[in-house]
Amino acid sequence: MQEWTGLLPAFPLAGFVLLVLSRGRMPRGIAGVIGAGSVGLSFLLALTIAIGVLNNGGQAYTTVLWQWMQVGDFAPGFSFYVDGLTLVMILVISGVGFLIHLYATAYMADDPGFARFFSYMNLFVAAMLVLVLADNLLLLYLGWEGVGLCSYLLIGFWYDKPENGYAARKAFVVTRVGDTSMAIGLFLLFSQLGTLNIQQMLMLAPQQWSVGSGIAVAASALLLGGAVGKSAQLPLQTWLPDAMAGPTPISALIHAATMVTAGVYLIARTHVLFELAPSVQLLVAFIGLATLLMSGFTALTQTDIKRILAYSTISQIGYMFLALGVGAWSAAVFHLMTHAFFKALLFLAAGTVILSLHHEQDIFRMGAMRRRLPVSFWCFLVGSAALTALPFTSGFYSKDEILLAALGQEHYGMLLWTGGVLGAFLTALYSFRLVFVVFFGRDRHQGSSHGEDHAHAAVMEAMSPVMFFPLLLLGLLALGGGFIHVPVDTVFGAVHEEVHASQFLHALMILIPIFGVVIAWGVYGSASYQKAGEHLRERLLAAPIGRRAYRFWFSGWGMDALYQWLFVNPFMVLARLNRKDAVDQIYGWVAQAARVGNSVVVMLQTGNLRWYAISLVGGMVLVIGLGVWR
Amino acid sequence: MSMDQLLLLLPALVVTATTVLCMLAVAIHRRHLVSCVISAVGLLLALLSLSVAMPLAPQEVTPLLRVDAFSLFFTVLVLGSALVVTLFSYPYLCNLEDQQDEFYLLLNISVLGALVMVSSTHFLTAFLGMETLSVCLYGMVAYPLHRSRTAQYPMEASLKYLVLSAVSSGFVLFGMALLYAQSGTLHFTDISAGLAGGALVPASYYVLASLLIIMGFAFKLSLVPFHLWTPDVYEGAPLPATSFLATVGKLAMAALLMRFMSVSELLSSADIRYVLSIIAVFSILFGNLLALRQSNLKRLLSYSSIAHMGYLLVALITLNATGQSLGAEAVSFYLTAYVVMSLGAFGVMTVVSDSAQERDHIGHYQGLFWRNPWLALVFTAMLLSLAGIPLTIGFVGKFYIFAAGVQGAEWMLLLAMVVGSGIGLFYYLRIVYRMLAPLEHHDPFPEAGLRELLPHGLLLCLLVLLVLPGVLPGGLMALVETVVRSL
Repeated sequence: MQEWTGLLPAFPLAGFVLLVLSRGRMPRGIAGVIGAGSVGLSFLLALTIAIGVLNNGGQAYTTVLWQWMQVGDFAPGFSFYVDGLTLVMILVISGVGFLIHLYATAYMADDPGFARFFSYMNLFVAAMLVLVLADNLLLLYLGWEGVGLCSYLLIGFWYDKPENGYAARKAFVVTRVGDTSMAIGLFLLFSQLGTLNIQQMLMLAPQQWSVGSGIAVAASALLLGGAVGKSAQLPLQTWLPDAMAGPTPISALIHAATMVTAGVYLIARTHVLFELAPSVQLLVAFIGLATLLMSGFTALTQTDIKRILAYSTISQIGYMFLALGVGAWSAAVFHLMTHAFFKALLFLAAGTVILSLHHEQDIFRMGAMRRRLPVSFWCFLVGSAALTALPFTSGFYSKDEILLAALGQEHYGMLLWTGGVLGAFLTALYSFRLVFVVFFGRDRHQGSSHGEDHAHAAVMEAMSPVMFFPLLLLGLLALGGGFIHVPVDTVFGAVHEEVHASQFLHALMILIPIFGVVIAWGVYGSASYQKAGEHLRERLLAAPIGRRAYRFWFSGWGMDALYQWLFVNPFMVLARLNRKDAVDQIYGWVAQAARVGNSVVVMLQTGNLRWYAISLVGGMVLVIGLGVWR
Repeated sequence: MSMDQLLLLLPALVVTATTVLCMLAVAIHRRHLVSCVISAVGLLLALLSLSVAMPLAPQEVTPLLRVDAFSLFFTVLVLGSALVVTLFSYPYLCNLEDQQDEFYLLLNISVLGALVMVSSTHFLTAFLGMETLSVCLYGMVAYPLHRSRTAQYPMEASLKYLVLSAVSSGFVLFGMALLYAQSGTLHFTDISAGLAGGALVPASYYVLASLLIIMGFAFKLSLVPFHLWTPDVYEGAPLPATSFLATVGKLAMAALLMRFMSVSELLSSADIRYVLSIIAVFSILFGNLLALRQSNLKRLLSYSSIAHMGYLLVALITLNATGQSLGAEAVSFYLTAYVVMSLGAFGVMTVVSDSAQERDHIGHYQGLFWRNPWLALVFTAMLLSLAGIPLTIGFVGKFYIFAAGVQGAEWMLLLAMVVGSGIGLFYYLRIVYRMLAPLEHHDPFPEAGLRELLPHGLLLCLLVLLVLPGVLPGGLMALVETVVRSL
């Protein structure tokens, strides 16, 4: 099946082309079949390829799709490289992608832009597959920018609301900062190593650079810049919460399961470079730690169901970065996979809730939805359990690995571990705060005053089989995904030695999330404690420090305001100053010069035969003069 | 003359037979369709006959001609473009209120001249071929003579071309005479000995003589300062004649020039390289600047052809300097690309024109995209290729020339190429822009019914030929490499 690898992105790309060519005139049924079916075909193909490769002992291979030209040493072309890491990524992208596409056929059924939605989604899947299949960084960059474009288009999908357009622009511009850094990194790598082929690079770099050399540090730091932008990590994390303006399936696919983990993939893919730059690798760990804690605190204060999940995504990717930073590459990939399962599940369930409640997103206007939205409730319960890393869920195994690896870090092991465990506590707190507020307690939804039937009927409507099936599968994966073995041992070389923590630390790692759940239950859940909990909250908010902290956290640690003050405002001032673009003047001169040149040479075209004949002779004399008496 | 040698000349013989047949058919019963079909079938047979000639090459056929991979390659290009022009001519000429048949006759004879040119290694055949081609072209340019409303100034264009072409032929002849006076032979190879010096006369004598010949050739390629005739002739001639002049005329001349340069090793002389470099720079700049604000598309394409021939000269200059075949490969590749894009661009214009009215003003194409997206797509593709945008054959060709220039370290020429391409982008994209602009007035295109199927099919073929080597240039590159090796 290996020769069919090129078809993986070709299916969704073909879907995109078909949907675009139909110009929205295609019946919804067919558009949905094309949209979801193309990704489904990709998934089936990915599955057969994976089975073939794994039966073959996980042997990596390269397929050349197309060589553009060969002039001297310059031979640009498309080639795909498939190894264990790629397999995990393509399976997650096409598999989870397919489920989300399926769900979206129902979720978006009433939207006027149905075909447009699926065309963007297909394009996204194609670009994302190219990103992970690329055997050289240039092609990877193509996919990288492709997913960025689709992300922009889909965040602003409902473009008639200006704030959606603003959110899309913000996401585009902020990630562009990281992309620029990454592009410079590519230039640097190419100029130093003479190739952008990833495998060659990983082979050449250790031979040419010593550990900790300046070039290695610069190159990996620049790549890290790109990864940080795409994966919404500190300091470029500000775009992701706003990106929730897009339809919920988008948030599930792009801003939770796949695209935002591209940065993790990039670092894992080029891990040799990071091993050559220990200082940058440590930076990765601390970025991850800081991000996971900051967004954990922020998630605690949010009231919008999707924003909570968004911050939780940032925080979970922080865990992946932490794992990358301590060299636990496979743990990072493992968490990437399990996170894709449970976060997609949570987002899709949130979508169901939002749809059932007629686009209500404030969790404090929900409540007691347990009985009305039983499927969503169970999904949320499963997803949150996995997110919180309760024992025997998928998240438990992946997070466990990360924390153990963090503990094994030479110098800062204890610090990183403590931070990670604190983050796990926060995770438990905010995710079960969400569960308890939405599904337990008092019903605060407006619809309830009109009678339960209305809302109840809506719930039944919102759950069709095509929505239920993806939720069911994702739920099973979120529970059992921890038992999947990620076949990346051959990719990352020697398996890390197991870190043996003491029984006490092990117990702590299991108990602390449970403790968090209990506290969340105490504050937001049980009827008996709820009053006390609310009382406590009010007391906390009444105190100046509490209120300030709340506001600080709620605004995402004031990062938006900071950037507004630090970058946006000075930029606007500069732009206003340079309204008559100075650089533009130069181009004006160029155009002017061309115009003058034109009017001069046109004068020669008189149309007179005698002048032409004279010029012929004169030209001849000139030429001979130049040639003979030079 | 052995049988093998006759077989090697089979394409030329087939074209000759076609001409005779065409003439006989006219004498017996005049019918436009019959003449066209005979001519097209003849050209097609000539193309097929190449398969007979191919295994026998390379071989000298008398001291006058040499049939090798190089000449066969250009024979294919000449016959192919002549065939395309023939097929485009049919719907164009259908409503000419005059006899149409002789156009095909002239076209076939000039193809014969072009075929002789691409395989000549001797001044005699070179001159004979050139004149055969030119004399027929005068007739083709002036073809719709009796109609005042058709192409606007066919007579004027033809006369200008005739007079100036005669002057340039005079140059060529004079150069040949000078060479002959010293060496006593007219074979290309014998110049190199004289250039090396040591003979009775100084090397500059040979430089002078060769320059006279090259400048005569440069006139046909419309290089600066011999370019002034180009726009007037292009504009005045009927569209099929223009596209024939722009493709077959340039093709045969460039092939001849290239063979001449490479066999005679003229480029080893620094003087000649110097002169050619100056000509190349000025051709690129003048051509592009002249086209800048032109609104007549025939004139615009004629100016752009000046620039394109300048690009070609850049590659030609690096022919021997590099010590590798990159320069020669670039010339062959670029000529192929140039022929495809010119045929496409003129083809679109021919499709929407007929001999009653030529649509050669940019205003005629305003909003073409909204009227006829297919034609707009083809035209856009051709223009982008002319401008050298990636994924078209034009880009690969330009890139090839660039690579050759870099290898020959001709930095001034490359600079001129960059500047020229920059200016070029403006006027090519201006046409594309006009095609996308809103449709204003509606001037209906000629309705030719079923007859339209053929030219549109041809446009499709040209589009494929444009895009395919742009995306996968490997095959054509390998072909060009083997072709050049036979030089």
